Amino acid sequence: MMHNRSISVAQRVAPALLRFTLGAAVPLLALSATQPAVAAPAKFDVEAVKKQLLSGNGEEIAKALETIKQAGAAAKPIVPTLNSVLKKGSTAPLLVALIETASKLEDPTSSAAIAPYVRHRDKSVRQAAAKALLHTKGPDAVKALRRGLRSRDPVVRGTAAGGLGTLGAKEALPDLFAAFDHRVGEAAVSIGQLCEADGCKDFLKRVGKVPFDIMTSGLDQMLFRPPASLNDDAKIGIIGKLRELGTPEAGKYLADVAERWPKDWSKRVKAALDAAVKAVGKGKTSDDDEDEDDDE
Amino acid sequence: MSPRTMQLSKLSSFVCGAALLVACSGSNALSGAFDTTWQNDGGQSISSVQRELASASIPKGTGLALGVVKGGLVATTLSGKSWKYTGSVDARPKLSGDVVVATGDNQLFALDAGSGEKLWSISSGGRSLRGAGDDGTYTVASLGALNGGQSRLVVVKRGGSVILDAEPEPEIGTPAIVGGIAFVPWGNQYVSAIDVTTGAERGRLLMRQQVTHAENVGGELYFGESQLLRFDPKIGAAASGGGTLAALPKHDLPGTPRWFAPGAEVLSPSASAPDRIRLIAKPTGDGKFENDRMAATYFRVAMGFGASDGELRWAKLVDSDILGGAAAKGGFAFCTAKGEVLLVDSASGAKAGTLNLGSPVMSCEVQAGDFTVPSNAPERTLAEQLGEVIATKDPQMVPAQRFLLTKLGSMQDDSVTKVLIDLASNTDTPPALYEDARKLLAERRSGADFMLQALEREYDFLDDVLLPPPVGPLADALAAMKEQRAAGPLAHHLNDPSDTPDDIKRAAKALETLASADQFSDLKIFFALYRATASDDDIIAAVVSVAKAMLRVGGKEGEALVAEAAKDPLTNSEVQEALQGLKPPAAEKKPEEPAKKTASK
Repeated sequence: MMHNRSISVAQRVAPALLRFTLGAAVPLLALSATQPAVAAPAKFDVEAVKKQLLSGNGEEIAKALETIKQAGAAAKPIVPTLNSVLKKGSTAPLLVALIETASKLEDPTSSAAIAPYVRHRDKSVRQAAAKALLHTKGPDAVKALRRGLRSRDPVVRGTAAGGLGTLGAKEALPDLFAAFDHRVGEAAVSIGQLCEADGCKDFLKRVGKVPFDIMTSGLDQMLFRPPASLNDDAKIGIIGKLRELGTPEAGKYLADVAERWPKDWSKRVKAALDAAVKAVGKGKTSDDDEDEDDDE
Repeated sequence: MSPRTMQLSKLSSFVCGAALLVACSGSNALSGAFDTTWQNDGGQSISSVQRELASASIPKGTGLALGVVKGGLVATTLSGKSWKYTGSVDARPKLSGDVVVATGDNQLFALDAGSGEKLWSISSGGRSLRGAGDDGTYTVASLGALNGGQSRLVVVKRGGSVILDAEPEPEIGTPAIVGGIAFVPWGNQYVSAIDVTTGAERGRLLMRQQVTHAENVGGELYFGESQLLRFDPKIGAAASGGGTLAALPKHDLPGTPRWFAPGAEVLSPSASAPDRIRLIAKPTGDGKFENDRMAATYFRVAMGFGASDGELRWAKLVDSDILGGAAAKGGFAFCTAKGEVLLVDSASGAKAGTLNLGSPVMSCEVQAGDFTVPSNAPERTLAEQLGEVIATKDPQMVPAQRFLLTKLGSMQDDSVTKVLIDLASNTDTPPALYEDARKLLAERRSGADFMLQALEREYDFLDDVLLPPPVGPLADALAAMKEQRAAGPLAHHLNDPSDTPDDIKRAAKALETLASADQFSDLKIFFALYRATASDDDIIAAVVSVAKAMLRVGGKEGEALVAEAAKDPLTNSEVQEALQGLKPPAAEKKPEEPAKKTASK
């Protein structure tokens, strides 16, 4: 039930994000699309794969990368070789494959090798690099993605903005706010994941200025953060702000949050949600009418 | 063919009676004037006239700015007295001495330049004013049809009596008058000196330069159009190309400005582009010019040049088109479309005063007369003045901006480098100026600190730096200046995908000589990223330049990386071919040492 509702929010936000973000055609980052590496059943021959990777032969390298992908976690020992190949460079298609393979292995040591490619002139290479860093993580990844927020490439900006929150890069908050104010909508999610009470309040100042469905992608992150990460007072403050807004879409959103609120989570916050829903109403919008028509 | 001049006594009588003109007293026939069978007399007759008039004087005139507006004229003397005239004006009015002459409502009329009071008015016979002159006693005017033809020459005494009224067959230009002798240009080469009391041609000037104007310039008489010949004792030599000629220095100025409009044409009361693109200067005799200055206007900018050396001395930007101007003692007076009259110090270009006509004007005529522009110290350096004009966002100004940019580029001040960098880093700079600024930057050999400062910038979406600095031109200049401090910033730019491939190529080329071991890390990254992915000629050239730099500063590691890439089948084939021909600098020097040369063999 909750899962379905989360998808519903994401589906509602994605088109608005596209409208909000200059340059359009920026896909909403779907972190869940990349599955963590899984253990391979077959034995992984490190030396053989290494030989293939260093062969200088495009086909051999491609085969090696396929083997690594299939091997999953068992291919970890090949990471240094993979990094070494990345550091020496290759053709654009092979670079994309190398970067994606390194991404699958999720080894932080690969971030330093991948980072320079975020600034490659070939967009397929730099976009693959930005996405890969979200999986290889580490300080090098954070540094490169923070720089990616300043990129000319809207996809790199969006990827960096959406990913820095997942990486827990609190030091990137000022840049994320700047990016959000430059219409990089993906920054909302990261801000929602990272902000402290004051920073979250600062984000709330954008309510009414930024399309509401963009704001909710950040608000959702804030409201559903564990109490240890963002306390009840801060959450009640957010609810109060939305209540003050009093728009149908705010009412609808509050009702949606109230419905998804875990039963064993804060009763105070739930009470504030219910009171706000009561005050604002469940906010039936014209979009809902269309949805209902569609259902019929 | 004898001249076909026509006595207009009948016409004048008709006009006087029918149009209730003031003080019409009669007219005389022309006698011998405009005779096309005239033989060159070697300047004798015009010299004789000059001698006769040597002691005659014409007024220097009232300093006045006169604007045409819908429904009349607005004026201000340069000393600040304003007046208005209400009535139709169908052609550009003419200032001469102390009168304003104009046509409108089928009338030819004269106004007092100081007060705007009407002095006299006669029928224009349906024609419009081409030009006029006044010597304090008589006013001479030439009129014609709007589309050419139908020349009419009229001389009116101050009281309003018509002394001469004729229709010469040739197209006559703008006349002048001194001591009762009217000087009438015609046929682009002659000036007939006509006794206004008898209508007889007393002398004729044959000029070797185009002549459509006889002008009273500050109390002295001149003839010409693109050059002016002074009416002085040397006038007789004009027939053989001599005489005292005032010629402005030749320039390749934007819009090809002219000093005077053709004098035999009726100019519209509304200014057109040629009125906005003008040369303004006042000859002072012996071929020299007032204050040794000439001004050129181009829409919203006035530029001051040395009249003898042609050097640009100042540039003044105003907020609306300059429609007219005059050179005065000490400076210039420019009249703008908004009705502002700006007084400018001729030496410095500094503003020395402003006057206002009270409303926007359709066209504007200015006469300096005996007015003196007060002097004022320069407000800014020439480089700063040019920078201001060049930075103005006005597509119409681009030709002037490009001209001034060239002038700016030839100056060595460090501040010029900054102006050029700003132009080449601004998204609003028009493309032509942007390219010019980049070319000039590449050629600069001063202002290294500004260049290094510029290289510190890079494309930054969050900081709204949406155009990278002109890395390529800066690299060219800094390499030519052997500026080692540039190596770091240039190496850093190699890996900025927002820089153009051309900029990258030039940065890499500069690094061939400027890079040190400190830049090896940036060089390595660039080499790794592009040795196999380079897809255009500029990046290929950049990779090869970077390889050379790596061989020079990268020691064994650099050599190994280049050698490995030279063998790697995945390296771009053009890059690979170039790399295979590269050797470490030390190896290249070996052949110069005879002993080792033998050994290497």
